[in-house]
Amino acid sequence: MSRGARFGLAVLALLAAAALLAPLLPLPDPTEVRFERSLEPPSWVHDPVLGTDLKGRDILSRTLHGARVSLLAGLLGTAIALAVGIPYGALAGLRGGRLDRVMMRTADFFESLPLVVMVLFLLSVAQAYRDELAAAGLSRTHLFFTAVGLLFWLPTARVTRAETLRLRQAPFVQAARAQGAGTPWILRRHVLPHLWPSVLALLTLTVPRVILMEAFLSFLGLGVEPPAVSWGLLASEGIAALNPLVACWWLIAAPSFALALTLLALQLVGEGLRQPT
Amino acid sequence: MRAAALLSRVGALLLTVLAVHAAAFLLARAARGGPFDQERETRPELRRALEQHYHLDEPLAAQYARSLWNLAHGDFGPSLRYRGVSVGEILAQSLPLSLALGAAALLFALLCGVPAGLWAATQRRRAPDTLVLLLTTLLLAVPSFVLAAAAVLAFSFTLGWLPPAGTGSPAHLILPCLCLGLPVAAQIARLTRSGALEILHSDAVRAARAKGLPRARLLRRHVLRPALVPVVAFLGPAAAGLLTGSLVIEQVFALPGLGAHFVQAALNRDYTLALGATVTYTLLLGLCTLAADLLLARLDPRTEALS
Repeated sequence: MSRGARFGLAVLALLAAAALLAPLLPLPDPTEVRFERSLEPPSWVHDPVLGTDLKGRDILSRTLHGARVSLLAGLLGTAIALAVGIPYGALAGLRGGRLDRVMMRTADFFESLPLVVMVLFLLSVAQAYRDELAAAGLSRTHLFFTAVGLLFWLPTARVTRAETLRLRQAPFVQAARAQGAGTPWILRRHVLPHLWPSVLALLTLTVPRVILMEAFLSFLGLGVEPPAVSWGLLASEGIAALNPLVACWWLIAAPSFALALTLLALQLVGEGLRQPT
Repeated sequence: MRAAALLSRVGALLLTVLAVHAAAFLLARAARGGPFDQERETRPELRRALEQHYHLDEPLAAQYARSLWNLAHGDFGPSLRYRGVSVGEILAQSLPLSLALGAAALLFALLCGVPAGLWAATQRRRAPDTLVLLLTTLLLAVPSFVLAAAAVLAFSFTLGWLPPAGTGSPAHLILPCLCLGLPVAAQIARLTRSGALEILHSDAVRAARAKGLPRARLLRRHVLRPALVPVVAFLGPAAAGLLTGSLVIEQVFALPGLGAHFVQAALNRDYTLALGATVTYTLLLGLCTLAADLLLARLDPRTEALS
């Protein structure tokens, strides 16, 4: 494994550990409002290590708690995209013929849509149903995951289909077919296990995009809702507090740095995986 | 043959717009709690009059037919939040700004990305190549609103060179255009670099070099032109990227463009405006993709862009 990939993995492990352990660390509550210490700059060594925001909340604590939401959103959103995209692509590739054509035409159609705009539209309509959704135990976060699944299953389906088409020609699949194995059997026993390498590569491509999408939606006010925190929400608050009198750069710096570091690490790991070792 | 293919593409685009319109229409109508639900109780007769005025009392099919008829005339009805203003007027006011911003950002991305990619390819594994790779990796890992915040802090609040937000002069568009275009420029630079690298190692280039072709001419005629094919193929997705990017950038820089209006409409549940913007975006993206495909077919006749 290359040096870059190892560095990326180390950074990711560190971030994940920090996110998991955030509630156990000796940090102030991320939602604790203390107006008397509003907008303190970072001290780097003692109490507000990374400073405080407009309401006196601790930035370090908020960034670490935000990591929980942002990283989880990235993982779950990717899982949904893969859960939709892989069976879709595998089925289209394995069956071929008319079904494949219809399925790929459908994918083409979805690709020609401004999906982000449509997802925003969907989320805005869903706001009208907040009470019903809450009664069913669903929050906007769940809607967000559905939306992400809608957005990112297309590339997954395409890659899976191409890979399946290649596998379909493989002698062991031909042999299984000659012995009378059905499509579900071949799919489960012969195709899906061989998709792992490309799925892994897809994972490193999709997770950063989902994390970015979470930040994007939260920034616009249609993603994670306060009092929950995520990196996108923190950056959004920081930008809203920007003014020429107090250059409170630390509000934006901490979540942005965490976000950029995560995406960079994922990119490094992905490049390491895609290169033949 | 070409004309027929083009016609079928245009037909597909129109069908897509119709499908998006129908889906958005149904979603908006399905939203429980009409636009007139507010904190204050409305008197029943007033409410009935309002619904009659906006044709909300008709059956769904009639409403859809009316909406379709209006769509054919480019009329999206009145805005539900901005009283006395039609969606068409808002679109007509905000679209030029967004289009100008997007076009300027794309131009900037091409002017920055293509030379940077070519430079990196010719200097492979040397300082410029490393620099370009590092910069593009960084740019692709930073969300556009972070870039925007950093730019405002640096160029507006610290140095005081450029206005931080709003409109009024061309200087107001410089920072938004930079922040919108830089991520696209990074992707274009990477595509140009990998395309040019492949061609630089081909027999054709070696032959041209052996023939004693001047370097500038070699790069321009034999390397740049084929290296641009993947870049042109990327223009469609780039348009989509600029479109989503503009939603954020217009918000940060307080530009009254289509993106800012659409986000506000989504937050305010102004369904008619959101529907009009969604349909406009669909049409815009379709036209950009079509233009990119036509350009690609012209640059590389082997592509079956129009089949």
